[in-house]
Amino acid sequence: MQANKFMTMRQANQREAITAYLFLLPALIFFFVFVIFPIGQGIYTSFFNYTMKDFNWVGLGNYIELFQDSVFLKSLGNTILLVVAAVPFIVVFSIFASVTLYEKSAWIRSLFRGIFYLPVVTGTVSVTVVWKWIFDPLTGILNYVLKDAGIITRNINWLGDKRFALWAIALVLFTTSVGQPIILFIAALGNLDRSQVEAAEIDGANRAQVFRYVEWPGILPTTLYVVVITTINSFQCFSLIQLLTSGGPNYNTSTIMYQVYETAFRLNRYGYANAMGVILAVFIVIFSTVQFRLFNSQIDY
Amino acid sequence: MKKFVVMLIAFALLVSVLPASAQATEITWWAFPTFATIDETSGKYEQSLIDAFQEANPDITVKLEMIDFQSGPEKIVTAIEGGTAPDVLFDAPGRIIDYGKNGKLADLNDLFTDEFKADVGNENIIASCSDGENYYMYPLSTAPFLMAVNKTVLEEEGLLEMVNMEGERLWTTDEFTALNAALAEKGYMNSIVFCQNQGGDQGTRAYIMNLFSAQLVNPELTEWTINSEAGIKALQYTVDEVAAGNLTDGITYNGGGAIEQFVAGTVTGTLLWSPGLAKNNADAVSASGFEAVALPLPSDDGTPELEYLVNGFAVFDNGDAAKIDAAKKFITFLTDDPVYGPQNVLATNAFPVRASFGDLYPGNEDMAFYASMTKYYGAYYNTIDGFAAMRPAWWGNLQAALTGEKSAEEALNDFVADANAAYAAAQ
Repeated sequence: MQANKFMTMRQANQREAITAYLFLLPALIFFFVFVIFPIGQGIYTSFFNYTMKDFNWVGLGNYIELFQDSVFLKSLGNTILLVVAAVPFIVVFSIFASVTLYEKSAWIRSLFRGIFYLPVVTGTVSVTVVWKWIFDPLTGILNYVLKDAGIITRNINWLGDKRFALWAIALVLFTTSVGQPIILFIAALGNLDRSQVEAAEIDGANRAQVFRYVEWPGILPTTLYVVVITTINSFQCFSLIQLLTSGGPNYNTSTIMYQVYETAFRLNRYGYANAMGVILAVFIVIFSTVQFRLFNSQIDY
Repeated sequence: MKKFVVMLIAFALLVSVLPASAQATEITWWAFPTFATIDETSGKYEQSLIDAFQEANPDITVKLEMIDFQSGPEKIVTAIEGGTAPDVLFDAPGRIIDYGKNGKLADLNDLFTDEFKADVGNENIIASCSDGENYYMYPLSTAPFLMAVNKTVLEEEGLLEMVNMEGERLWTTDEFTALNAALAEKGYMNSIVFCQNQGGDQGTRAYIMNLFSAQLVNPELTEWTINSEAGIKALQYTVDEVAAGNLTDGITYNGGGAIEQFVAGTVTGTLLWSPGLAKNNADAVSASGFEAVALPLPSDDGTPELEYLVNGFAVFDNGDAAKIDAAKKFITFLTDDPVYGPQNVLATNAFPVRASFGDLYPGNEDMAFYASMTKYYGAYYNTIDGFAAMRPAWWGNLQAALTGEKSAEEALNDFVADANAAYAAAQ
């Protein structure tokens, strides 16, 4: 009797599990076909001299060549520099803007949320083309304004001078990346228990102390999410490079993603491009792991 | 119900035993927007050609897909690797011969008859359609790449006599230098030495090559040789002229961007121009209030060696002989038909490769000038092995020279080393 009951429960559990897996199946199929399989294929083909004509096993040949490839190494350096330069600014500015806006009236909050989010909904290409016009060395408004203000005396080639080009890219990346985090931070602030903030204020905490000891711990999980996502997006910076500089001048703004594209679609060296992609993924995993470790030690879930 | 099933089976049997010719063969044509549009609608002209072809060949159905120059090449590569390549492609030899060398195309050797070769009568054009062993592109039209200047500015500033406007308008590097210096002195910005990416990079290669008669490649087309004394002199000259403000730094412009600045009247010249570009930009040039005049590239001896465009069709080998045959029938219709052949040449605003098409632009002085330039066609090097890898080496080193990161000699030595390595790797 007991055994029968046990079997019935087991069967019921099995049935429940099968039902759950069946519900998950469409998503899992999609995930395996369009995510896991391409990732596996990418890693697999990175060990081949895979071109339009050839498909020969070269083992670690592509990886060895990569670390002797000055263009790749330059692109790797640029990518890391872009991440290190842009991500902290994006995160700090987003938090600052969110905290500032959160205290404003609802309509001001909505207005600025819309303004900051505008580049996100406008689309990277459109925004980037506008920036290209702004930076244009012959007719760009930036040179015009700076000359008119007496700050510069002759036009600067912002995207063509290696002293400025990567920072110009970082600026555009910044403007296109802050919208989403601001929305998330404002939402996170809204989820905080305001009575804690009020209690801190009654206890005499100033604005900075309220943020440091009440709000910051509360938005830390959101910060972790924003840091990781912004880092990944910055590592994968491609369209800005393609539209603004094509990696120039002399590869000073080339990123790994841009080189992956150039290598795969211009040079038709798919295996070599996939090896670049694998290296990029490794760097993203390392950065993300470090970020998770650093933040997780402070987050109280 | 039973009756319906029986009829269905009978129909299926009937279809299966019909001769192949009675069943429509469906082929796909991917077209870059090379032809002039009808009503400014992309693909409308191409569809009219398909309609005419299908009327004459009801056993073949052609599906059209328009692709653009920005994402088209990437789309083709993806389709090739995914096994979904089109049957027909209208493009230029650079990419087509590369696909051919990689075994992706059906050869068109049977179309290159003695009659056709004799009609073309130009070995360079015929050679541009081949990888040396097989023909992969069936050519339709050709046009030279030149430069252009703002004639209105020259007239207004009293500098028109500095340019030879007679006959073939040949001119020298010294005359080019003097004109740029005179315009710069009057506060104008001159031609942009564009090198942001590979867009239009043939223009700067031809410009550097011509300045002091350097040779880009050896006559056998097996080795890049632009790092000669003449080549280095030309690049150093360019770097110096940009630094002096007589030419314009083009690190952030490709060929298209440089042409836009010329068309907008921002700069007085462009190092890349062609009959097609002239036609496409005619309204914009007019709106900017000036007249553009095409010139051959300047050279020290006054005899240019020009790059040129060849438009043509390729047929992908998708493993279906019927489709290959249908595709060949389609492309011969588009290029050889006595009505649609010349009409298609006109739609490219270029010149027919077939001499038998005659003068398609009677009384048109501009086109007569462009036609006179075809005798200055140089060797066609776009089909050299490793061509695709040569291009980033070109504009990358041009950038390095303009930014001062490399001397002219270092830049050209590095270019030649990289380009020759790409050639060797592709063997």
